[in-house]
Amino acid sequence: MWIVGMAATAVVALGLLLAGSPKVAANTQQAATEVKIDNFSFGPVALTVPAGTTVTWINRDDMPHTVVSMDDSKTFKSKVLDTDEKFSFTFSKAGTYPYFCSIHPKMTGKVIVQ
Amino acid sequence: MIEAFFETAAPRAANVVLVLEFAMGLGLLVGARLARKGSFRQHAWCQSSIVLLNLAVVAVMMIPSFRDHVLPRIPAKLGKAYYALATTHAAIGTVTELAGLYILLSAGTSVLPEKFRITKYKAWMRSVLVLWWVVLLLGMATYTRWYVPHLFRK
Ligand code: HEM
Ligand SMILES: [Cu+2]
Repeated sequence: MWIVGMAATAVVALGLLLAGSPKVAANTQQAATEVKIDNFSFGPVALTVPAGTTVTWINRDDMPHTVVSMDDSKTFKSKVLDTDEKFSFTFSKAGTYPYFCSIHPKMTGKVIVQ
Repeated sequence: MIEAFFETAAPRAANVVLVLEFAMGLGLLVGARLARKGSFRQHAWCQSSIVLLNLAVVAVMMIPSFRDHVLPRIPAKLGKAYYALATTHAAIGTVTELAGLYILLSAGTSVLPEKFRITKYKAWMRSVLVLWWVVLLLGMATYTRWYVPHLFRK
């Protein structure tokens, strides 16, 4: 009887694996243009994207943060983003774009546009 | 714990305000002792300068922060400690600072007409001192919730 249980478990696990794999692939692709804010940090800290990409920051922390570019002309600057709020910016020109959170200036990150 | 305190996510300005406000809170206690010892002139100078310095700190640092970070989210998000603490602090803080200014104008100047001046000085001053410390502690609680969250994290 135990062998039936094992087999059933294996089948279910295999099914989950198969059903799950395309979703995982889609996720990694999407993650390339998304920066998650959590625990007082940007993830990934440095994101490399081709020119023309729209990068979206999403705040998964339980407190507000902002996304503000560090250059003098403030290329991009979000409003205050509370939990689960998003901000997007499309990078059309190649270059390195360092940014920080204006509420917590020690929080920094950068987007590298190629 | 001590390290956690100094390694907060706070901007430098918030740390400066925190230290300054704590010093002012202690200053008011020293000033209260001056009154008990009968040094009323020094008492008046001490408390008046603190009330005025605090007015400047509130106007320059706290009101802009409140306007940018709290006002757009209330009352919708008052359920969150982040906003509830800051709002309670700001509300009682406003009453306290105004009461402090009222005492200053009543006792230290003659700009107010006679009938608007305080007669029960002791009761007013004591109440404002107590309220002040309540506001100060709420300010510290706000600071902790805003900038030292890893103290409470899962
Ligand atoms: C007796 C009067 C007051 C005292 C002793 C006091 C004290 C403090 C202290 C110690 C802090 C923590 C330091 C910081 O986070 O910067 C603080 C923060 C704050 N206070 Fe007050 N406060 C007073 C009045 C007010 C008033 C009238 C408002 C109304 C706008 C206000 C709004 C705030 C806000 C929004 C913060 C967070 C500031 C930030 O960190 O960006 N406070 N206060
Ligand atoms: Cu932040």
